[in-house]
Amino acid sequence: MSHDDVAQNSRRSAGANRRTFLKTAGTLASTAALGLSGCIGGGSGGGGSGPVKIGHLAPVQLDMGKGSMNSANMLVDHLNEDGGILDRDVELVEGDTQLSPSQANQRVQEMVNQENVAMISGTFASETMLGIEDRVADLNVPFLDTGSASPQITEGHVGQNYEKYKNVFRNNPVNADFQADLLGEYAKFLSDQHGWNSFAVVVEDAEWTNPVTNRTPGVIEDAGLEVAMTRRISPDTTDFTPILDSVEESGASCMLKAISHITGTAMLSTWGAGEYPFAQEGINVASMSPQYWSDTNGGCLYETTAESGGGGTAEITDKTVPFTEDYAGRFTERPTLPMYMGYGTYDAGYVFKEAAEAAGTVDFENNLDDIVAELENTDYTGTAGQIQFYGQDHQYPHDVKYGNDFAPFPIVQWQGDAENDMIEGEGAKVCVWPEEFAAGDHQIPQWMA
Amino acid sequence: MSKSVTSVTEESAYGYGIPLFDTRVNLYQGGVLAVLLVSLVTVPVWAPPWAYLFALANIWAIFAASWDIISGHTNYISFGHSFISGAAAYTTALLTFNVNPDMAIYITFPLSVIVAVVAALVFALPSLRLSGPYFSLLTFVSVLVATKAVFIFSTYTNGEMGISTVSVLTFDTTMLFYYTLVPAVIITGALLYISRSNVGKVLKAIGQNEAAVEAAGLDTTRFKLWGFVYSAIPMGIGGALLAHFYGNVEPIAFLIVDRSIEIIAIAAVGGMGTILGPAGAAYLFLFLRDEVFKAFLGPNARWVAIWSVVLVLLVLSPQGVLKRLWTFLGNLGGDSS
Amino acid sequence: MVNPATILVTGAMVGSLYVLIAIGFSLIYGVRGVINLAHGAFIMLGAFAYLVAGGQVSGVAAFVIAILFVGLFAVGLYLGLVRYIEHNVVITFLATVVVALIIQQLLTLEYSLAPRSLEPIVSGGIAFAGTRVRYYQLIAFALSWVALGLLFLFVRRTTLGRNILATSMTEKGAKLAGTNVLYVNVATWFVAGAFAGFAGVFIGTLQSTSPTMWINPLGLAFIIVTIGGVGSIKGSIIAAYLIGFLETMTVTFVGPAWRGMFALLLLVVIILAKPEGLFGREFIE
Repeated sequence: MSHDDVAQNSRRSAGANRRTFLKTAGTLASTAALGLSGCIGGGSGGGGSGPVKIGHLAPVQLDMGKGSMNSANMLVDHLNEDGGILDRDVELVEGDTQLSPSQANQRVQEMVNQENVAMISGTFASETMLGIEDRVADLNVPFLDTGSASPQITEGHVGQNYEKYKNVFRNNPVNADFQADLLGEYAKFLSDQHGWNSFAVVVEDAEWTNPVTNRTPGVIEDAGLEVAMTRRISPDTTDFTPILDSVEESGASCMLKAISHITGTAMLSTWGAGEYPFAQEGINVASMSPQYWSDTNGGCLYETTAESGGGGTAEITDKTVPFTEDYAGRFTERPTLPMYMGYGTYDAGYVFKEAAEAAGTVDFENNLDDIVAELENTDYTGTAGQIQFYGQDHQYPHDVKYGNDFAPFPIVQWQGDAENDMIEGEGAKVCVWPEEFAAGDHQIPQWMA
Repeated sequence: MSKSVTSVTEESAYGYGIPLFDTRVNLYQGGVLAVLLVSLVTVPVWAPPWAYLFALANIWAIFAASWDIISGHTNYISFGHSFISGAAAYTTALLTFNVNPDMAIYITFPLSVIVAVVAALVFALPSLRLSGPYFSLLTFVSVLVATKAVFIFSTYTNGEMGISTVSVLTFDTTMLFYYTLVPAVIITGALLYISRSNVGKVLKAIGQNEAAVEAAGLDTTRFKLWGFVYSAIPMGIGGALLAHFYGNVEPIAFLIVDRSIEIIAIAAVGGMGTILGPAGAAYLFLFLRDEVFKAFLGPNARWVAIWSVVLVLLVLSPQGVLKRLWTFLGNLGGDSS
Repeated sequence: MVNPATILVTGAMVGSLYVLIAIGFSLIYGVRGVINLAHGAFIMLGAFAYLVAGGQVSGVAAFVIAILFVGLFAVGLYLGLVRYIEHNVVITFLATVVVALIIQQLLTLEYSLAPRSLEPIVSGGIAFAGTRVRYYQLIAFALSWVALGLLFLFVRRTTLGRNILATSMTEKGAKLAGTNVLYVNVATWFVAGAFAGFAGVFIGTLQSTSPTMWINPLGLAFIIVTIGGVGSIKGSIIAAYLIGFLETMTVTFVGPAWRGMFALLLLVVIILAKPEGLFGREFIE
């Protein structure tokens, strides 16, 4: 598909918005004129005929959210090519959360009240997901979390009150408890590779990083390695020199970090320009953007980040690379790759399609239990892994199963001599861990060699 | 009230209160007002999908009218009203998050309003000494300090993404609309009454010529202080309502300076000093922003559109569009005040 | 263990940037009594102009283009908008901040919220006095003083500069003396915009460039000008370094999260105790 088709897509979507608004306004006007009352807009809960609408929530002003929304648009095209859902056309309702849980609440309410969506996917920040979870539970709309990692979303809600929150699932990414433990495992890998024995665990102050602060240092220390410092930094930090200085002072060979609202752009350019004597490892959500190389002027060279879908550089499943290439062919504006949430969002649509078709309905107002039961039975080969959900009695009910045979936790590194030419500029990402998916060796900054 | 004060009022650049409770409301004005009021009250009947948005607009009407009683009247332009409502919202949120998630609303709500009033007085006190720009500056700073503090004490406030332990008022949008409409109507009515009272006239006279009011033997400091209290109480109510409206309190929706600027923009479009104008403009502003512009321009470009509209209106009609319309209706009747 | 030299070096680097941030705001406020809340947006435009131009031409040329672009943009804003409303303080306040918001939203539409670093003209750095100083910071420090020197010469040695100074004292007097006030205004806005563009390039490079980067510099400009005193360039320079050192000490002794907090509190104290600032004239009107 060409860029024109993409433009047409976005026009179509704007047109759909406009139509919805005019239709609502028109219906209201005629209702008011006829003096009717209270019999419209009550929400058919995805039922009825006409297209099946699915909602997607993401902060589209960020690459992450934009990549996910692009993926959702692509998903809808693919679903329609595959016969839609229950032979009905599929239509996307875009919801910009603007990184605000309050805005997200408003969007969810509108999606169900005004647009009658059959399913909602999305949310990037865990706080946003947690902020809307009660409303989502009350509205009964099937919800697939495709970007928020906090274990609270499943363990703290579905696990505490299954009956109330049974419509909430997470198919991406693996939850932050697992991520925290895996970062510890990854530290062991680094130690084996390069003999690094001292780590500085630096995370941004946010809900999803709590497990990293609480669990990762323990895993590292259990392996006989040293945790030289742990620090939580404010998301509104602009000058990172003091933080980099203290990591250097701590003597750590590696700064193991977990940041997402902090974009790290300034941190990495300061780090690269100053040639600080430690590596930048862990999770940096902004670094998943293919444009991060140019954003940081190559300052991200040698940085690693965990990324669902492995940034399209690893064959997680046989769908991973084709999906990534299809995306790259359609979208020429940033982000030119789907990023971790895009994989999850794309998979969520097919997971829902399979469940809805197995249940024979998308009408959650009347058949929620059937839809939920089919979602629980999911066994779908997605772009980010083989998707299955933990059962009702698991510690993390309705959470995506972690594992190299299920949803894995690949880590990619920015390397200067990579052969991957899908990304503009000189640097490219290479999957370096776990070994099962690795496409290259982990490199250390040349000034540390 | 001395005659001289009244005459100062009559000359005010920002006009005088809408003579709603005077006999001078003519047939056109009364008719339009009645139609609008009835339409508003029946929103959940004729436009159920919009009940949620109008419920939100109810709260913003409270904010705009509350801002107007002090800043629109005295011309002491506050850039810090989101600090007052934010103080109330954060009080509710902090109590439920840090003390007891099930704390009853009849405890948290009044406490939140009290904190809002205290917060307002903290920045009202300097205003007793400072002139216009410095007052605006100080209120602007209050928002920056508060936002900063939310990040610094993120252990208690959850920082950027905020606290989501606040109970949602109700998930039923019709009920939500009326839960917010009732306070909005009562508060707007009360503020209108104050605006029309002698206190309101003095506040406006201060806005026109503070020295003259002092010369007339009135203690302007005391009046300004009361103005703040009249403004802060409903701001606190609105802030706590908003917390329960979203069930979530975070800087971007409650505190940052953009929210204060929105309040000012709404009041300016509605007509500063008229109470009803700012309250009415809140509905217009939110409807344009969240329905019309969003439908036609998408979620991001709508902000460009709404701010451009505000800019044009500010320059072309600094005394307020709704106020102009009102005067126009008055002239139609031929007995405009 | 704190090395006082570290604080001295870091504080000086920060201060030199803050001077650039504040000087344009100070000029417009001092000369005309206009509080230009779009000043932060000027700085942002400088960073983005450099970003765009940097893709086409060399770093130094992009730097010059950014400065000229923002200078002209400021003049455009004055002639197209502010000129008509500057007599009304409230409307000017509001209109300029709305302009800033519009620019923010337009940039968000075009460039997304993702922050980026600009390509520095010179890369690399040295370990020095217990911290690392990028060469680019040293350049910012030096150029900031060069620019201030030029401004000083301009105000003292040229007719136009002297007219600006005269207008800042009293517009009526300047008019009587035959000064073309419109000309003076245009020049003031140009110089203020140019300084903002200059600041933007360095902030955008040393920190990051994003559509929300305008609010912090605006707050800083506010703080510095008020503390230094309205209408006093000397006051702004001293206040900028004062805040630079204060912030550096805050970060060192209290923690990075507190950056900016004490500056705000100092501002409140100054407003209450000495509203005319350290070196300012009493605010008239």
